[in-house]
Parts: sequence; C-alpha cells; structure tokens
Amino acid sequence: MEEENNLLDAKKQNILENSKKSILANKISVKKNDKFYALLFLGPSLLLLILFIFYPMLKTIYLSLFLTNGNGQNTVFVGLENYVSLLTSSTYLASLGSTFVYVIGVSVLTIFLGLLLASTASKNVRGSVFFRTIFSSTMGVSISVSAIFWLFIFNPSIGILNQVAAFFHLPILNWSTDPNLAMISVIISTVWMNLGFAFLVLFSAFESLPLSLYEETAIEGVGPVYRFMHVTIPLISPTLFFVSIITLIESFKSFGLIDLMTAGGPNNATNMLVYQIYQNAFLNGNYSQASAESVILTIIIAILTFIQFKYLEKKVSY
Amino acid sequence: MSIEFKNITKTYDQAPVLENINAEIENGEFFAVVGPSGCGKSTLLRMLAGLIDITDGIIKINGKQINGLAAKDRNLTMVFQDYALFPFLNVEDNIAFGLKARKMPEEEIKKRVAHALEMVDLSDYKERKPRDLSGGQRQRVALARAIASDAKICLMDEPLSNLDAQLRVKMRSEIRDLQQKLGLTLIYVTHDQIEAMTMADHIMVLNDKHVQQIDTPLGIYNQPANEFVANFFGSPKINILSGNYQSNNHEITIDKYLKIKVNKKLDKNDYVVGIRPNQMDFETIDNLKEGNASVKNVSNLGSQTIVSALLDNGQTVRIVKENQLSIAPGERIKATSRGDAFVFDPEKRNLAAISVGV
Amino acid sequence: MKNQKRVIYNLIIVLTVAFLSLLPVSLLGNKQASAADNSKRIKIVFWHEMTGPAQTQLNEFVKQFNKSQSKYQVVSQFEGTYEEAVQKILNTHESNTSPAVFQSADISVSQLYHSGYITKVQKFIDKDKSFNVNDISSVARAFYSQKGELLGMPFNTSQPVLYYNASLLKKYNITPPPMNPSYSDITRVAKQLYQRSNKKVKGMTMEVYGWLFDQLIANSGNYSVNNQNGRLATPTKASFINSGSLKAMEWIQENVKSGDFINYGSGTNASANEMAAFLSGKLGIFMESSADIGQLTLGMKNQKLGVTYYPHADGQKANGVAIGGAALWISNDKSSEVQQGAWNFIKYLESAKNQATWQKATGYLALNKNSKKTKTLKNLYKKNPALKVPSEQLAKTVPNNSNSGIFVEGIVQERIILNTALDQIYNGSNIKSSLTQAEEAMNSYIKNNNRANGWRY
Repeated sequence: MEEENNLLDAKKQNILENSKKSILANKISVKKNDKFYALLFLGPSLLLLILFIFYPMLKTIYLSLFLTNGNGQNTVFVGLENYVSLLTSSTYLASLGSTFVYVIGVSVLTIFLGLLLASTASKNVRGSVFFRTIFSSTMGVSISVSAIFWLFIFNPSIGILNQVAAFFHLPILNWSTDPNLAMISVIISTVWMNLGFAFLVLFSAFESLPLSLYEETAIEGVGPVYRFMHVTIPLISPTLFFVSIITLIESFKSFGLIDLMTAGGPNNATNMLVYQIYQNAFLNGNYSQASAESVILTIIIAILTFIQFKYLEKKVSY
Repeated sequence: MSIEFKNITKTYDQAPVLENINAEIENGEFFAVVGPSGCGKSTLLRMLAGLIDITDGIIKINGKQINGLAAKDRNLTMVFQDYALFPFLNVEDNIAFGLKARKMPEEEIKKRVAHALEMVDLSDYKERKPRDLSGGQRQRVALARAIASDAKICLMDEPLSNLDAQLRVKMRSEIRDLQQKLGLTLIYVTHDQIEAMTMADHIMVLNDKHVQQIDTPLGIYNQPANEFVANFFGSPKINILSGNYQSNNHEITIDKYLKIKVNKKLDKNDYVVGIRPNQMDFETIDNLKEGNASVKNVSNLGSQTIVSALLDNGQTVRIVKENQLSIAPGERIKATSRGDAFVFDPEKRNLAAISVGV
Repeated sequence: MKNQKRVIYNLIIVLTVAFLSLLPVSLLGNKQASAADNSKRIKIVFWHEMTGPAQTQLNEFVKQFNKSQSKYQVVSQFEGTYEEAVQKILNTHESNTSPAVFQSADISVSQLYHSGYITKVQKFIDKDKSFNVNDISSVARAFYSQKGELLGMPFNTSQPVLYYNASLLKKYNITPPPMNPSYSDITRVAKQLYQRSNKKVKGMTMEVYGWLFDQLIANSGNYSVNNQNGRLATPTKASFINSGSLKAMEWIQENVKSGDFINYGSGTNASANEMAAFLSGKLGIFMESSADIGQLTLGMKNQKLGVTYYPHADGQKANGVAIGGAALWISNDKSSEVQQGAWNFIKYLESAKNQATWQKATGYLALNKNSKKTKTLKNLYKKNPALKVPSEQLAKTVPNNSNSGIFVEGIVQERIILNTALDQIYNGSNIKSSLTQAEEAMNSYIKNNNRANGWRY
C-alpha cells in the first residue's frame, strides 16, 4: 500500500516535471504573431517605465558627470570628479555615517517595537481592540502633524519632555540642538511614524497564525521564549522580511520629518543622504552634485536590498 | 492509562457548551467521541488536553485529578485536524521538535525519531518539508510525532477529515493498528459515524451539550438510546415514521401494510418508530390502485439497491435490498417491515420499546 | 451581471462626458482668463514669495496699482520659498510661463547678475526723470548694486537687530544695554540675568544661522569672501577667519561657557523655539531680523520689548550691518512694453506712502526716506518707539563693500557650511579649526562654481 502511494507520488512529480518542460518548449517556439502580441501588451508599461524610470535614471547618471553653473545648466564635463569629491568630503562621509546610524536605528527599533506591539495586541484580552486602533493610528497622522507634535515634546524650554524632567529634577537635555540627542529624537519620531504600518502588517501576520501549532507547543511543553523564537518568528518570517525591506528603504528615503524637525542640523548630525540631495538640488541648484549623490544612494539601497534578499531570504519560510 | 470525566461542564460567557459530562475510559481503549459539528466534542478534548479551562467538574487520569495541571505535564499527545506541522521544519525536525523543547538527550531523540518514522513508514521522507508531502504523508508525520513522544494517551481531533475517501479508509486501519501495537489509550473525536463504528471500542455520542449515549459500536447501533442516536448512526439513514399504538394487539400501525409488533405494553396512542432501511421490504404491485407507496428514486450501488418511496400517508421511506433491482420511479409497491424496529417516545424521543420479529 | 455591466457603461459615459467637457476648458483656459480681463491691458506677471500679512498687503498693492492706471494689468503669483522661486525663475526663463517682474532674495544677487536673464533697473532709473533714486535707502541700494549700477530694486527689507526683554531686566534690576551695544554690554546683561534669576532665565542666544554670522563680520568691517566680498572681482576664496569673526565667536563661546547662552540650533524650528522661549520669559536676549518685530510686539502684551542695534566688538566702532529681505527684478525675456509696465509697478511700490504702509503692515523697513514724514509711520513710532530702532540703524549706516552683502553665488551653500561651523563652535569646538573647515568647504564650492561658469578660479 505505502509503496504504491510513494509510486503514485513519484508519478505525480513526473507529470508535473513534464508539464513544466512542455511549457518551456512552448516558450522557445514562440510564433512571430505571439511576439507581436507580447509587444502590444507589454508596450504601454514598457513605455511608462522608459519614460518615468529608465530615462530619468540615465539622465541622472549623465548629469552627475558635469558641473552645474549658476543658471542650473551643466557646462563642464568632469567625469567622475563629483563622485570623487563626494567620497573624499568629510561632510558627505559623515552624512553617510549618520544615515546608517539612522537607518539601522529606525529599522531595528521599528521591527522590534512592531513585533512587541503586534504580539501584545494579538492576545485576546479586554481592550485589545482599542489598543489595536491606537497602535495603528500613526498611519493616519501626516508627517507635518507628527513633526509638530514631536517638536513640541522635544522643545528645549517649553517642551513636555524637559518639563517632566525638570519636575523630577532630572537633567534638562537639549534634544534638538545636541547632535547626539537630535539623532535620537529624529529616530524616535521616525520610529513612531513608521510603527503604525509595521504594527498593522505584523499584526495581521500574528492573526493568521494557525492556532493548532500553538496548541501543539502547549502540549509539547515549549516555553514562551523558545516558542516565540522557534515557532512564531519562523512562521511570520515572510512578513518580517517584507517589513524589514520596506522599513529599510523607507528610512533611507525619509525626508519630511527631518526637514521639519532638524533641517539636517545640528552640526549636520541628522543630515541624511536624501536631505543632502534635496539641499543641493532644490536649495543650491547644484544639480550635478545632487545627481551624483542620488546615484550613490541608489547604489547603496540596491546593494542592501540585494544583500537582504540573498541572505535574509534564506531564513524565510513561505 | 485510564481517564475519567466527572460532571464536566464548560461555559463560554455564561453560555454552556457542555453540561454534566460523565465517562470512564479504560486503559488501552479506543474511545471515539462523535457528534455533529458544534456539539462540544473538540471542547471536551481540549479540556482533557489542558488547552482550555474546565468550568466545573473533575477530570482524572489514572485516578489522579488533573484539573489545573499544565498541558505539558499531562503526558499526552495530540493529533490535529490540520496536523499542526511546522511548515519551516522538515519531517525529522517536526517529529523531534517537542523532544528538543523538552531538552531530551540528542541520542534519545535520534532513536525515537527513527523509530517513529519507521512505524509510519516515512523513513525515506525525513528530509522533506511538509509542503512537499501529500495529505496522507502529512497525516502520518503527525502520527509519528505522537509516537515519538512516548506518551500513552493520544488525543485525535478529526484527524482524517482533510483526506480523500480512499485514503481515509486506509488510514483508519493504520491508526487502529498503531493504537493496538503501542497500547495507546486513544480519544478520537470525529463527526463521521462510520469512523467511530469501524475503529472504536466505545463510542460517546454528544449532542446538544449532553452525552446521548456511551456504548460499544454494536450497542449503539442495536440499542440507540434515543431518536438522535438512531438517526446519527447507520447508512443509509434510519426511517423515522409516526404510527398509532393499538393496545389490544401490541401493534403500532404506520399504514395498512406497515405494522410493528411491540414486545411490551405501552401507555400512549402515538409513537415515533425508527426502522432501518435494511429492515424494510417491498414487493412491486401491477395494479395502480393497490399497494401503499410509490417509488420516487432508485440508487443502484451494485451490491445493494436503495429505493426511496412515498407512502400514501405522506411519509417517505428508504428501503435497502441486497441485490440489483430493475425498478423505475413511479411504480407502485407494497412496503412492509421485516420486524426489527425502535419505538421512541413521541415527546422525550428516547427509546420506549424494541420490536424484534413479526 | 447585467446590472453590473450597465453600471460600468454608465460610468464610462459619465467619465467620457466629464472629460470632454473639461477638455475645452483646459485648452482654452488661458484665453478665457485674459478675455475676462480688460483685453486692451498689457499683462504683467509678477512672482513673489510673501506669506501671511505681507502677502495680503502685496495683493492689495497690486489691486490698487491696477486700479490706478488702465494700461497694465499686474497678475501676482505666489511661488513658495525664496530658494525654490529663484530656481523656477532660472528654469522657466524664455518660456511663456516666466514672470515679467519677480521678487528674489538677498542670497541670489550674484546669481541673477550673472544669469543674463535680467534687465537692470538702473536702465529705467536713468530714463525716468520722475523717479529720484536717492530717495531710496543707500545701504539697501548698495546691496543690490554692482559696479555702480542698481540691478534689482530693494523692496522688503530688514536688518538684524538685538531684542531684549525689558520687563525681565527691570524685574531683576538690570541696567538695559545701550542703543549701540558692544559685546561686553550684552555679556554683562546676559550674565546678570542668568545669575539673578537663579539660572531660570537664560541670558542670550544667537540662532545657528550663517546670515547672523555674516552680519557680525560686516559690523566689524571685514569680509566673508575675498575681493572685498566679491565687489571688486569674482571671489575665489572664503575668508571666514578674520579679526571680526574671531572676536565674535570668542564672545559667543564665553557666554556658552558661563552657561547663560542657550543654543536652539538651526532652521525654522530654532527660530520658533527661540521666539517661544523669549515670549515666555525664559530667554532674555536674542538677535534676529527686524522683520520679527511685529510678531514680538504682538506676543509681549504685558511685557516691554527692548530693541538695540546689532552688537559690535569692544573698542571698535560699528561698521553697520547689511540688509536682508528681497528685491524686485525685471526679466529681459519680455517685450520693452511689458518691462516698462513692470518698472511702473516697482516705482509704485517704492513711493513714500506705500513704503510706509508696507512697514506698518509687515514690519519690513520703509526704504523711501520720505516715508518717515508720513502720518502712518509717525503714528506707528509714537505708539511703539521700539519700532523706530531698526529704521534708525538703517538710516545711520554708511554703505561700503563690507556691509553691502556678499556678491558670490551659492550663498545657500555658504549658509549651510557656516551653520555647521557655528554648531561646532556653540558645542565648544575650536573656533579656528571649525572656521578653517568651513572655508575649505566653501573654497571648493566657489572653485567648482567658477569652473562651471567659465570664470577664473
């Protein structure tokens, strides 16, 4: 009986394999007519891609090889000089460093807190619906509103944080002016902003966890920490992977909060790569420099995403 | 490992789902809990497993009360309807998961896993992930996990309901064999009366929060405690018909040809009679004005034929004949009883009398 | 199914009709708009960057100008921040969307001069006998001039001043600083305030803002870039390190050390925080644009505001500070008729009466010397004498190459670089090394900019 079963399985596999092969074979012998239709259907999206992705990308690379004059025209071809000067400039390297601190800080904290909130809210206790709403509510808050909200908290003289600190005779901290504290305050605000999304996505992952697996672990006598690390995390790993990539890329690109809260200061401590691009392109009119910075940022994000896919995805079980 | 339920009650938000459940299960017994969906059978199983609280009553294992004991300390295993396999672990690791969590020595784990894999004949598949297995194979991984744990009580919650009909038949005997071989006390929850009938030593029938009957499969079939149990067991379904009791000749008349002899004196006028389809008979009648029923539907199963017919008094009957018949809908028949029948009280619907032989 | 189909059909029809009905509107939009106006009038597109009460007043001026004559129709359009607007102006030049006259800030003077996109207002001044340019503040004119020619007409003008909370000083029995204070005057007041309030009130601040730093240099008679702030020839190097800047930064660090100085950082939040602290009596002194004066007088209902000139180093006379704000410029891509209309509009805005109204409404300083004779300003000063201080500072300043702004491209970059240096210095870094870093960064910027423009570097 069992052998029969195995044989049956093997047969099924064979059939699958064969059907895959025949599909491939079909692909190879595409008729001319099919090519026409393929082009017809791909055409619009291809056109849009060329127009809005490929052309700007190539143009950015092209612009980065020139110097921009006062009228915003690219006049002198300088090859890779913009890149060289960027990569040897201490401000740019410092900005690169602070961007990494920021991105890692934001990503790690967002995912950690998102997990914490999601696992807490997924427990069916009284009031959990209320907290779910609260936890995800930052999604509905605009960047400007939250920037004002946090500025009010961090304000050195009238901010809530320092007033509370004063009340308890704790040291008064200059949140927005001390370089290190400014970075922390920007990270906290960004994490707060991002948390709603991370929570919602992770929470839905928690909600779809199969109950029987947890009953099984209860019977097997698995401790809560072991269960979280060896059952929950692997089960939600696809979602976790998704959230981590999105958070990473988003924090690389985050601009609004920084512009509104610190404008890159103090002492360039929060002058992230994206903010520098903005300063160069839209305040200085230095398009070539901004282009070079964009290209570098794109490469960094591409590399990091590639690494994530290459190494993290192995740990993901679908 | 004997198990005892004493006055078990379970309520959710003050609404009872189980009331006053009492049962005793012997060591090494295959005990099936049967009932329609929503009858509380899974709840009962989970209370025994320690996954949900007991509202009231006592559960004993080997004479020791286990209320409040953590699931992991009850020394039992459970096989779930969806098998509860970890999708990210391969077969081997799935089986070893609980043992590793309990920090068992590596050697011991290896031995047990190998043994369990052998028992369910999956040794060649130990490297595979659950998604690469067929439904039956996944089912057997779940069994292997139960085997590896070495606990002597095994709980199964509808373990076969996700399989196709053929595989189900095959797995029934496999599970039964395994239970015998390992000497397990097996509590088996199912909504499928055939599974219960074919596998169990004893069956508990649950409905409407209460135990309807606990008996051996044949006991349940031959002496259903009430109309529900009679209705739930047996295929095709029992005919439930209403009739009049005549005290002078101890007979219940359903219509002019369909009559039941009762073995004792009854005190009411109207009764409900249950006659299994194989306890009915008929003959075809040429004259349209004769007989007592018209054929509505004929199902030829090869080894037997199921005829459903409409009695002239408006009640429908199913009749099973153990041969192949050529009969067409619309034909007149004369439907009669072979003798065996159950008489149920019209109000309480519990067994009032049994009729055996004409 | 049928129903669904019908709904979709209906939707398509409605959308098509909506689209078709909108199409002519968008195509003919421009024509219709001009048809609504008096078609004989010449349209003068005016771009500005004013917000709040200044925008309201500016639009009022536009309305009145259009009423006052029948030849031109000025259409004002808001274009965002100064930094954004100048980019738009440069990028739209010679397209049909470009403005005929536009407001552009102090930071863009050199850029616009070199762009070749403007007609110098000097050209119209020379032709127009009805307009006496000497009525307009010479310090303001010097800022927007190069080689003796006025490039754009100064319009909304401010100067940095020093504000103090006079009521707070009185409360702690502190003698107020003199009208033209030296660094030590301010230090004295700041320290006394900090000590006598039991460290509850911070003595002073200066926002991390390169503009304020440049003004400290100007007030010392030094230059921020070489070739006398670029007035003699294209600048090739920054000169952030000079006797003026060193003294100024030493002064700041002295106050930082003694704890009476509070740093609010840079950007709009810094100024908002600074303002909030000042209004709530937690800060005694700060330096900022005179344009804040309206907001301050409004905010200090029960307290008295004190205003002095911008401070200068001890043992040295104040050289005077440069103006801030913006000027009005005429594009050269429009017909001479349109350009003439633009000039007439500028002339209208610069009248003594309108400049007085402008100061009253916005806090920007009236540039017409005759404005102070108007009832409007006389009443204003009578009601609040503090408002007079910035105007007096402006009137007393004798223009020279040090206090007429920096004639270099990339002032935005310069300010960012200086903000970094100021941040470092406020946090206790070595003054010279911070400024050296800033100079190096600016030098490489100037070099590349000169290269891109094909100039000597």
